[in-house]
Amino acid sequence: MNKFNAILLDSLLEIRSRKIIYIYAAVTLFLILLFAFIPSMQIQGEDLFESEFMSSELFSKILAHFFDGFIGFFIFLLVFGTAFLLPSYLGKGRIELTLSKPISRWKLLTMKFVAVYLIHMFILILMSLLLWLTISFRLGQFSWGILPGIMFSFVHFLFIYLFVFVIGALTRSGALAIMGYFIIRFAANLLESREVAYQFIGESVWTSILDWMYYIFPKFGEVGGNFMSLMRGDGFVNFFSIYTTLIFCAVIYALTLYIFSRRDY
Amino acid sequence: MNDNTAAIRVENLTKIYKSALGANEVHALTDVSLDVQRGEIFGLLGPNGAGKTTLVKILLGALRITSGTAFVNGNSIDDSAARAKVGFLPENHRFPSYQTGMQMLLCFGGMAGLSRSEITAKAGPLLELVDMHKWRDTRIKKYSKGMMQRLGLAQAMLNDPDIIFLDEPTDGVDPIGRREIRDILGELKKQGKTVFLNSHLLAEVESICDRVAILDKGRLIKTGPVHNLITVKPSYKIETAEIGDDITEEIKAAYPGAVVENNIITVVFDDKYMISGLIDLLRQNYIDILAVIPEKISLEDSFMQLIRGGGDHEQV
Repeated sequence: MNKFNAILLDSLLEIRSRKIIYIYAAVTLFLILLFAFIPSMQIQGEDLFESEFMSSELFSKILAHFFDGFIGFFIFLLVFGTAFLLPSYLGKGRIELTLSKPISRWKLLTMKFVAVYLIHMFILILMSLLLWLTISFRLGQFSWGILPGIMFSFVHFLFIYLFVFVIGALTRSGALAIMGYFIIRFAANLLESREVAYQFIGESVWTSILDWMYYIFPKFGEVGGNFMSLMRGDGFVNFFSIYTTLIFCAVIYALTLYIFSRRDY
Repeated sequence: MNDNTAAIRVENLTKIYKSALGANEVHALTDVSLDVQRGEIFGLLGPNGAGKTTLVKILLGALRITSGTAFVNGNSIDDSAARAKVGFLPENHRFPSYQTGMQMLLCFGGMAGLSRSEITAKAGPLLELVDMHKWRDTRIKKYSKGMMQRLGLAQAMLNDPDIIFLDEPTDGVDPIGRREIRDILGELKKQGKTVFLNSHLLAEVESICDRVAILDKGRLIKTGPVHNLITVKPSYKIETAEIGDDITEEIKAAYPGAVVENNIITVVFDDKYMISGLIDLLRQNYIDILAVIPEKISLEDSFMQLIRGGGDHEQV
């Protein structure tokens, strides 16, 4: 058992004890049973299970919308599922013992980050694939285009989880991690739709400031747009949102590592 | 790697806590220097807020130094290698309640760099040693405080450390358990391990430690072997038959500080040979001596004298 495996085991046990994992499983199981056993499903007067006229293109679109909602809900739950993990790990009475082990602080934090991320991604991918297989077998069509979209949820969740993790590391509070993430998310969404504000404020120094903030800030909504587009088979629509968000995340993660390495516990 | 033989070396260590905006400062440790030799059981004493836990946390990498240097096993404490052969049982620990005892050993043993097979092989005998083998697969949240202390002790010994830091190891443990822990510490000493014990139980320190250091208000005020701290000056109680007032006055004149009450003379001498003079004096006056009882000044008395007295660091 190496150091990473030890942290992975600890994370797995804690995630299991927090029981939010059972909500993921229950929702997925419910949907799997629904699609496996429901006798018919009417869409615009056509029974989805019997219709011979549904093109693979239409099928892909319906499935893309379905998985967009499913994975979106999943990621929303993950924010709550992961927010308390790091603060509990850094809690008084536990962190002293952890820091007494021969692991440098930056490695410790990074291993914890990766361990929690990998566990949640494994759960997300497993449940999404089970659901995809059930729907595909039931409908007799396999929309392979969904798979890159599901894989892209790795990236989408990485950005979201990183913010929850970083705020949790800095404040050692799960509640503040959730609150902080939603505030950043709200601010990022406002910046993405800043052009609406320009209609009211007109051309001014504020438009330049908001533009610069938009370029710097993470772009959760636009990154999510890639996800939908990939599942529909249209490929990436917005690389800019991905790499600017990636750069922002890398910078704040490096800053968090620095603060974590210097801080007294 | 520092070329020295001490298990722990602290040189001019200062730790200042600053408030968020730097407006307030608390000097937790001021210019502390000490050495702990390999194979000794070293006790750290001091009243609450003296800086004991701060010193232990600094040595284990949880707190950063303001100035000075410290080495553990010859490695600077800034290097995580300093903690490679170290075990630690913290005070007020909160072990993960969702883990079983065995899972806790797997996780913390793994973080210490042990393989799963090594942990499995060592965990059985260690849990047996601390009498926790029956509860190895029970969740920690069901453990009592004493059981957690025992598990913590097993965890601290899991990686076969050269140095073990124990912060209040008998806290919450019943008297039998305390005795067992003391026996384990004695066994560790026989194996050549260095034990750094932080405890407010002076009797415990007195019975276990080879040397102690006393911290007060962040300053080291005394270090030395326990027996040197305990036997400061020889003190005796002498029980006699009836003593008249004239003899009482004579004793008090010859031995200032002597107390005579209910035919019991309590006296502290500058050296142990002076008791002969007092006995001669009693015999010359035909006073029957019923008992001569040497009194040991406990570490607690010595500790209280030192804390009340304050003063500069003294090596005894």
